[in-house]
Amino acid sequence: MGKSKLSLLIVLLLSGSFLLAQNKNITGKVIDAGGSPLAGVSVKVKGTSTGTTSNTDGSFSITVADNVKKLAVSSVGYEDQEVDASGSSLLITMAQSTKDLNEVVVVGYGTKIKKDVSASIAKVTSKEFQNLPLPSFEQALQGRASGVYINTGSGKLGQGLSIRVRGISSVSANQQPFVVIDGVPVVSQSLGSATEPDNPLATLNPDDIESIEVLKDASSSAIYGARASNGVLLVTTKSGKQGKTKLNVGYFSGWSEPTKKQEFLNATQYKQLFTAAAENMGYVAADEFAGETGTNDWNSTNNTNWADEAFQKGYIKQYNISVNGGDARTKFLFSGSFNDQKGIIIGNRLTRATGRVNLDHVINKSFKVGANISLAQSNNYRVPSDNSFSNPIQLNALPPLHPLLDANGKNNNATLYYNNLIELEDNNRNLSKTYRSISSIFAEWNILSNLKFRSQAGIDWNNLQENQFLGRRSLDGAPEGYSYDNQVTSSVFTNTNTLQWNNKNAGTHAIDALAGIEYQRGIANGASVEGRAFPSDRFTRIANAAIISNGSSTETQFRFLSYFARANYKLKNKYLFGASVRADGSSRFGSDNRYGLFPAASAAWILSEENFLSNNKVLSFLKIRTSYGRTGNAEIGNFSSLSLYTSSAYANIAGLITSQIGVPALTWENTDQFDVGIDFGFWNNRISGEVDYFRKNTKDMLLNVPLPATNGFTNITKNIGDMMNTGWEFTLNANLIRSALNWTTSFNISTYRNEVTRLVSPVPPGQRTLGRLAVGAPFGQFYGRKYMGVDPANGDALYMRADGSTTNDYSLAADTVLGNPNPDFYGGWNNKFSYKGFDLDIQCQFVSGNDLYNIAGFFQSVNGDYFDNQTVDQMNYWTKPGDITDIPQPRLYDGNGANKSSRWVQDGSYFRVKSVNFGYNFPRKLLQKAKIDNARVYIAAQNLFTFTKYKGYDPEVNATYTGNLNLGHDFYTPPQARTITLGINLGF
Amino acid sequence: MKNIFKILSIAAILGMVSCKKVLEVQPQQSIDAATALENDQDVKSAVVGCYSLLGGGALYGTNLLMLPDLQGSESYCSWRGTFQGFRQVAGKTMTRDNTEAARTWIAAYRAINNANIVLANLSKVSDVDLRTQLEGEALFIRGILHFELVRMYGLPYDPLTANTQPGVVIKTTPSTNETTASERIARSTVAEVYTRVVSDLTTAVTKLPNDNGTRADKFTAYAFLSRVYLQMGNYADARDAANEVINSLKYELAPIPLIPFTNKNTKESIWEIQQNEQNNAGQSNDGMATFFASTVGIGRADVRMNTGFISTFYDAADFRRRDWYYIGTGARPGNTYCNKWNAFEQNLPVIRIAEMFLTRAECNRRLNTTVGNTPQTDLTFVRNRSNVSAIIAPTVSDILNERTRELAFEGLRIHDIKRTKGATGSFAWNDNRLVFPIPQREVDASGGIITQNPGY
Repeated sequence: MGKSKLSLLIVLLLSGSFLLAQNKNITGKVIDAGGSPLAGVSVKVKGTSTGTTSNTDGSFSITVADNVKKLAVSSVGYEDQEVDASGSSLLITMAQSTKDLNEVVVVGYGTKIKKDVSASIAKVTSKEFQNLPLPSFEQALQGRASGVYINTGSGKLGQGLSIRVRGISSVSANQQPFVVIDGVPVVSQSLGSATEPDNPLATLNPDDIESIEVLKDASSSAIYGARASNGVLLVTTKSGKQGKTKLNVGYFSGWSEPTKKQEFLNATQYKQLFTAAAENMGYVAADEFAGETGTNDWNSTNNTNWADEAFQKGYIKQYNISVNGGDARTKFLFSGSFNDQKGIIIGNRLTRATGRVNLDHVINKSFKVGANISLAQSNNYRVPSDNSFSNPIQLNALPPLHPLLDANGKNNNATLYYNNLIELEDNNRNLSKTYRSISSIFAEWNILSNLKFRSQAGIDWNNLQENQFLGRRSLDGAPEGYSYDNQVTSSVFTNTNTLQWNNKNAGTHAIDALAGIEYQRGIANGASVEGRAFPSDRFTRIANAAIISNGSSTETQFRFLSYFARANYKLKNKYLFGASVRADGSSRFGSDNRYGLFPAASAAWILSEENFLSNNKVLSFLKIRTSYGRTGNAEIGNFSSLSLYTSSAYANIAGLITSQIGVPALTWENTDQFDVGIDFGFWNNRISGEVDYFRKNTKDMLLNVPLPATNGFTNITKNIGDMMNTGWEFTLNANLIRSALNWTTSFNISTYRNEVTRLVSPVPPGQRTLGRLAVGAPFGQFYGRKYMGVDPANGDALYMRADGSTTNDYSLAADTVLGNPNPDFYGGWNNKFSYKGFDLDIQCQFVSGNDLYNIAGFFQSVNGDYFDNQTVDQMNYWTKPGDITDIPQPRLYDGNGANKSSRWVQDGSYFRVKSVNFGYNFPRKLLQKAKIDNARVYIAAQNLFTFTKYKGYDPEVNATYTGNLNLGHDFYTPPQARTITLGINLGF
Repeated sequence: MKNIFKILSIAAILGMVSCKKVLEVQPQQSIDAATALENDQDVKSAVVGCYSLLGGGALYGTNLLMLPDLQGSESYCSWRGTFQGFRQVAGKTMTRDNTEAARTWIAAYRAINNANIVLANLSKVSDVDLRTQLEGEALFIRGILHFELVRMYGLPYDPLTANTQPGVVIKTTPSTNETTASERIARSTVAEVYTRVVSDLTTAVTKLPNDNGTRADKFTAYAFLSRVYLQMGNYADARDAANEVINSLKYELAPIPLIPFTNKNTKESIWEIQQNEQNNAGQSNDGMATFFASTVGIGRADVRMNTGFISTFYDAADFRRRDWYYIGTGARPGNTYCNKWNAFEQNLPVIRIAEMFLTRAECNRRLNTTVGNTPQTDLTFVRNRSNVSAIIAPTVSDILNERTRELAFEGLRIHDIKRTKGATGSFAWNDNRLVFPIPQREVDASGGIITQNPGY
């Protein structure tokens, strides 16, 4: 016994002494929130440098001393975390970091660590918009990127949308940002012949996109020189990741409906109003109605809700699949998707099929090659322009007294205005088919360890085929049918060569530099043919037309040749300096002014690296930055500088006429931009944010200088206008709750104040529109006569005179400022919650202080001036002396209150719950049996709720046919869709 | 380092290719103004170009033929369409930004400038006959457009006054560059403009050939001269010019009155705007048929005839009543529309021989002369064609009524009201509201040198 006790004691002692040096082995696996394994995650003993990294399958194994209590786990892009070093097999779920300052941002011709960026760049990553039924990828920026104001314009599928980065920087040149996809500048302008532009970017699959960077200030965008004044969108597609080959499949499907329908008069109300309107003018309503419509429907019992006939229940479904993976030398991504949307407007449908291969391969230490190849095809069954009798929304003008169908059960064509439902019958079609490839190949050569040459050749090839057939019953197809075919092919080739130098072993002085040459050539050519008179509506192709009524072919070209250079210098990791310059030459610029120079410089100071702040417990990061530089706008038309003659046919004889008068000095527009900003982080960046102030001075704007038309030309285009935009941007991100329940919130708000500072002469509003240009006024300011309500004594509409008094004589009223279509502020508020397997993402978006003008008010809210059906508020019309109302006495044909005025100006502010996405991630244990890595099911909604005082369909409106200048104009413009989808993603 | 040089040299070469040539791209659908007019063919094409402008909706394609009738719409017709510009014309409620007032002004001066460019480039034409003819055509175009402009935008010509009221800008020099296109020229007086018009047209008469196909010839110029003189109350010269046209024996009345409006280039027509399926003034938002017609698939039926006008003016047996008016079957069906303008691709008669007979008759009657023929014979000639009996010893008023019947909706109504010092509704012939506003853009673009009309 004594012996054994002794030996036990020895063992204990030994073991005790061993205890001090005892090691334990901990294994585990690191996964992301979606359950996918994470490679390369650092797992260290807390407070030491001892540790390991996870393998491609996320597994790790670490041997630590027995007394180690905590492990520190970290990876770029994820929140650092500490885990208990207990248990032998750990499952560590890494949470995506909200805003990691080590995150990489894409900049022009390269990438950069965000911390080292001295410019103002907004970034939106795929995580924020994946699985949302986005009509087009740019919409992902709405409410997510500060300083980017997006107006979707209408609920038509595949339609152009307006994107304004930091205000409005041009009058007659393009106002949309320059779009670069994987280094290839792309065409974002419509090629089509329709009055309303389609959106060529809608052919891109949003799920292929990894990130969108918006270059906002001059120091980030000036590297794109003459095309950067409206900001630059850098789109980066997903690429292969080293590790296990992953297969992801996704499917979603859902339905959509209009966010709002408007209420118009029913038959009883209609008859009441128009009886009054006719009697007040000494007419008999039934007779007048019969005279105008050629029908006796006045006495019918019909009560058709024509407005609702414009809408249908839409659907959406999407399938996508992607495979990505690779080894140390070759990485690949294949993806494919098919998306089918039926719009909420009758006849509207958009399908999109896309395919992509992204590959890169390291040949040896010196060489790397790669390619991004994409192909997309879309079919857009379009809705006609807002300002067209065939726009279904215009059905709301039809009197409810007309029956929907005629005696034969066909669409009734005996109506006040055209019943455009006829255009959806049988073989009628309005299809835009697009084939598009945005592809590039590149090679990189590491000449020295710190010197790299890169050459990229890219092409944006876009083929649009428009095909329209209108049958003999339709307005434009009568009497014997009409067919139109149009093909446009645009190809833009870009070759970029850069030399990049980077001193890696930077101590106190870190320098990187870049120099490059870029050549770009764009050609667009098209051919169209139009035929009339078909044997029957069963023939729709021009081969069957008796009359070839029109045909045309066109070609246009442009070229750019550019040289650029950039250098960045970082001193002691806390003082940042950058400078860039680009020289752009273009065929578009006049012969006297072929090359433009666009320099920019920036500086930043990372205060949190200074001794006096580096140990601050609260303030974890603080950077002040500023930049100044010049950018240009070269979207001035390909041949604006020339004086030209063109052909003009007189019946069958060809004639020649003057078409344009130009100045050889015509050139790009210049914008000088100053920016100052602060980036900050508190409590280890748990709360972080950015504040920016900018001032953009646009000079040499292209304006049409009005000429006395008596000389044969109405205007000449010159670089002659100035405009200024100033504004603030504020972004705040916070991880409010970080436990089992995780809540991150992100709020941004931006402003811009636009002011026209130089013009040749004011540009007055058009006959139906209110937008104008005047020195001292914002772009598109509403200007016209002020509606002052109704004279209680006699029901006359009143307008304001110059002295503020009222008059019932419109011609005596004074023009005055009626509103501003630019917002006071706009922004977004995004919240992400996760709890166990559940996640919820709610994104809201708002715009405030902008005014809208409903041009259609002249037809639909005009107290029964003509037989158009009226909005229900018109029933509150003046009837007898003493009535206090703002709806004048109805007077048929008399124009009482029918003149263009502020009567139809309204506040367009709105708050919209833009998207909601609620998902559940199945537990891994359950999935492993099915050999599934991750599985998520979700329900998502777009435009779930909208809060606004606007009485029309949708406050996010822009009737594009009215032209650039008329912002915030509504003209039978359809609302956006509220879309609910259910979906699933599986990863293998 | 060798490699770097290699790359830099590649880059440099790429840069070299560039510079000048790479950035020089010429448009494909237009040609440079500097080399546009170089030979006979070019100048001839430039003249045809002027005609193509005349055929646009802003000029004879619509406005010059339709607006004079809309302006005199009282007890005659009504504008039913949604187009504000036309509605204001018919209602005499035009504003200074009226779109029709603006587009006609702009298009007329554009055509005038093209005509002036032709005149300035006549030296490029080597064929002497062609050169003379092109000169005549350019002068004709310049002359008729100044005439159309002055009677729209100036208070009416009154032979009893000096006519010093503002007319329109007289433009006789070409503008081809920024400097000449920026010139600010004030309005001349109505008298000065008429003097210029008469001068251009009388010169044109001497230059134009007797026959020029479907384009203007000597007698087209005479026909317009007749109109100009009539507008000035110069009955003798109006009569003589009309007499020249009739005596050419090139023209004759068609057997039934619909023919000149459904067939192209009939002998009844002195000059008409040529149109075809591809090239016409418009099929949906512009063009005579667009606004007048109401047949299946054609027309917006915006101009509706006053049935009282038809029953008052036309006998039941009058072929014109039968041929020229109908009950619509297309848009706004069931109402009465004018059948003179019934197809998009149909030519547009601007001046017909019937008008010359009526002008000669009126002038002879007023002057108590019988140049060419007696008023009664001329009048009878026109009436007989339409199955209505002769009027014995017609008065001026009889002849004017015949003009209304015969030339209704052909763009003469308001001009006849003005020259005869009549009225339309409550608007007297010289009412400011019967004068178009000068487009406000012109007042602005000329820095006020071009003045606005009273009342706008």
